[in-house]
Amino acid sequence: MKGYHDIVGDGGSGILEQVAEQRSRIADGLAGVRHLVAVGSGKGGVGKSTLTLHLAGALRARGLRIAILDADFNGPSQARMAGVQEALFVPGAHKVSLPRSRNGIAVFSMGSVIPESEALDFQSTAHGESHTWRATREFALLGEILASFEWGTLDLLMFDLPPGAERTVQYADFLGPRTSFLLVTIPSEVARGVVARSVAALSKGPSRLLGYVENMSGYYCRDCNAIKPLFDADRGRPADLRIPCLGTVPFDPELARQCDQGLPLAELPNTPVGRALDHVAQQLLDSLESTREPSR
Amino acid sequence: MKFLCVPCDSPMKLQTVGPPERGSLSIVYSCPECGYEIAMLTNAYETQAVQSLGVRIGPETSRAEVSADAGSSAAGCPFASMIPATEDTQRGQVADATPVRWTAAAEARLANVPAFVRPMAKAGIERYARDNGCLEVDEKILEAAREFFGM
Repeated sequence: MKGYHDIVGDGGSGILEQVAEQRSRIADGLAGVRHLVAVGSGKGGVGKSTLTLHLAGALRARGLRIAILDADFNGPSQARMAGVQEALFVPGAHKVSLPRSRNGIAVFSMGSVIPESEALDFQSTAHGESHTWRATREFALLGEILASFEWGTLDLLMFDLPPGAERTVQYADFLGPRTSFLLVTIPSEVARGVVARSVAALSKGPSRLLGYVENMSGYYCRDCNAIKPLFDADRGRPADLRIPCLGTVPFDPELARQCDQGLPLAELPNTPVGRALDHVAQQLLDSLESTREPSR
Repeated sequence: MKFLCVPCDSPMKLQTVGPPERGSLSIVYSCPECGYEIAMLTNAYETQAVQSLGVRIGPETSRAEVSADAGSSAAGCPFASMIPATEDTQRGQVADATPVRWTAAAEARLANVPAFVRPMAKAGIERYARDNGCLEVDEKILEAAREFFGM
């Protein structure tokens, strides 16, 4: 009697072929992207999204072609911060054009698709059992977005990841070894502990860990024009995450206010925060260029 | 999953997929040698597990038909019903009374838009066309919209 591997195909639907075709469409769509960088943490609330947008801005200011894919489908924030909440999706000859922020960063965010008063929802035949299939469906959605939108020729495509150490690893699995990881922490022992777990988990796979950024490393007081401590750990020992520190970025209340309104901060380059972001951007580029690209 | 007709030692072929009924799919296979038919009846969890992969279940011909129909309907997309039917995503279809025609070439391009953003893309482009005094969307309008929005 024939066994599973004696039979070519699956007799009809070609599920494996469909999955392979999806993978092929994603690879084709990303063929013009030089670097794929996922910005994650494991910990929520450390400023991944804000840092992603401002790093993208700093890189864009250097003339690089940058896109952001807001991979936090359930809590998207890039659409608001990049000012593309009312974006128009226009189909090209083969793919769909991406909306752009005022400073020319291409952005896909579910925040452009679903109003903030609504939650991302999927039709389901298995009511009350979403924990068994939801992650699979979200990754299929990510694949559809990567395959359908026009990423074109880019220097960097940055993925703004959702929180959760296990989610970070799932994205590493899905995105594959082409994607490098930049982790974000804050000067809190709790946050550092969670990020350390993400480092440990990611280290087991083939993904490149470029390093980490310590965000909210003090705050910028505009009255004093000085950086002041925000956490006790600001005064303590540095994080020991066993990966390179690409820089520290202070919190700037004015920057946070501008983000809420989707406005780029014109004076950013002249502030301590702007200079810190520019330093991290340079460190990121150096790290990407010094790390040999794995074979695809 | 594959099915084997044991007496013939022959792989069975997928014939039809019935429409989902209370979360269950009825998938009929037949043996190309002896014609014997079986039906695989999935439970809701099995149906959901396969749908979550973003793949379509059915014979190759019906998958091709669904794909060809994608420009006029979102029914074939596994994400078609993902976005809640909000006033915002449907505003263009509801509020704008003046109908806008689409040329065949423009409709073909619209089929490239994933189904979960297609309604809002369509409404947005029609709004752009109206704002520019056009009641027909063609490839020129699409290119103009791309340029206007800096894409």
